[in-house]
Amino acid sequence: MSETMIGVDNLTVRYGDNSVVKNCSFAVHEGESFGLVGESGSGKSTILRAIVGLVSDWSGSITVAGLDPHKTGRKQLARTVQMVFQDPYASLHPRYVIGHQIAEPMIINRIDNPQRRTAELLDLIGLPAAFQFRYPHELSGGQRQRVAIARALALSPRILLLDEPTSALDVSIQAEILNLLNRLRQELNLTFIIVSHDLAVVSYMCERLMVMRNAETVEILTRNQLRSGDISSAYTRSLLAAA
Amino acid sequence: MSKLVDIENLRIAFRTDEGGWKEAVRGVSFSLGREKLGIVGESGSGKSLTGRALLGVLPSYAKMSADKLSFDGIDLTSASPRLRRSLRGGRMGMILQDPKFSLNPVMRVDEQIIEAIRIGDRRMSRRDATKRAIETLEQVHIREPARVASLYPNELSGGMGQRVMIAMMLVREPDLLIADEPTSALDVTVRTQVMSILDELVTRRGMGLIFISHDLKLVSKFCDRVIVMYAGRIVETIAADRLHEATHPYTQGLLSCMPTVDGPLEPLPILQREASWA
Repeated sequence: MSETMIGVDNLTVRYGDNSVVKNCSFAVHEGESFGLVGESGSGKSTILRAIVGLVSDWSGSITVAGLDPHKTGRKQLARTVQMVFQDPYASLHPRYVIGHQIAEPMIINRIDNPQRRTAELLDLIGLPAAFQFRYPHELSGGQRQRVAIARALALSPRILLLDEPTSALDVSIQAEILNLLNRLRQELNLTFIIVSHDLAVVSYMCERLMVMRNAETVEILTRNQLRSGDISSAYTRSLLAAA
Repeated sequence: MSKLVDIENLRIAFRTDEGGWKEAVRGVSFSLGREKLGIVGESGSGKSLTGRALLGVLPSYAKMSADKLSFDGIDLTSASPRLRRSLRGGRMGMILQDPKFSLNPVMRVDEQIIEAIRIGDRRMSRRDATKRAIETLEQVHIREPARVASLYPNELSGGMGQRVMIAMMLVREPDLLIADEPTSALDVTVRTQVMSILDELVTRRGMGLIFISHDLKLVSKFCDRVIVMYAGRIVETIAADRLHEATHPYTQGLLSCMPTVDGPLEPLPILQREASWA
């Protein structure tokens, strides 16, 4: 198969004396969708934040498309990997119009013609171009999450890190966003890491997944192993039973 | 079975920019005994407003009317604000969706629970109230309840915060509990735990529970009956164990658009809304 896009080796993140991620290792191939599953506080989101450079106090090694987040400048890292957060109500600026929010990363990175690209991005995520003049409060939750995805794609990253992308949305809207993400991954050859506590979503979206508990890896499974019940840990089984 | 709640033709409207009124709840009627009733629908379907109307915490600019709105024989449409205040928190409790916005950020957990206890029972000593608060935290499966009791809300995870909220409501042992998306912010495993706590409490105390959620499957697992709302109306009422026999296309659409662990990998069916449903 293809090359490794994200490599995490022996990652440990400490907040004070408290280890929130302990010795985690996994690799994600180019074009793959990888799931992180576990309860609140198990360290899933912290791993994403370390990869994208939002947490810098960690030990071990991370490579993102060949780059080390510790040694890479913010701008270059931002062009490689982007993150979409759980709550589309909190992740958009309430006083900026949509078009401005999508264009801002391009302006910061001095990319030519951000207006035209903004219209293209809106089209890509399935919103009319006229939406660029609207404010976030004029959009529904699902539309806002689409905007957050468009902004994440503005710098044409190769990797999207999705932190519970649909758990704040209605189930009917969740289906639309999941379909959109799958289409984008195919069209743009993106690599995904999806954090979710919903095993059904992860089983639908991801080829492989890692189960975490209390900051540690429980096991790494393929989708087929998950679906056929080829599971070694009792914890994963209990998650599956609850789903 | 005596009726704990009886609602007939409930309507709630908000003023539009043009000066007219737009109805967000349009003629909802149902009654509730000592049972678990689920109300399911999307954002904007009017499910939360219905719960809030019952509790009497609608915003002041909302216009509400009902042919009947009663709680345990008390007519709520004509009840004094004083009476309604005494019902809230005491005989009717509400659990909201997001603990981040519902807990007081500058009060320790135990203080908040003790406050809830002492509003109901002013004679209880501080020591007893503290003990009671910690017991209640234990009941909602919080490990090391004594330690958690001394934390501030920002030091809690979302799941813990929500369990603290539930503890605050449970401590008064209300007759009716309105739970508005109580587990949407929680993990699946914790969710099951929280639901079984609610389930146990409701069954043991013979309480009534109104469980508001957009998760049809979760609701059907824990409730006796399910009301499906769409655009301010009830489109279907079904027994929870007969959900698969749902006839309304909206209910069927809600059921089929969810991914499952062993389901197909094709694009998920998208709910197609029809104007005739509204």
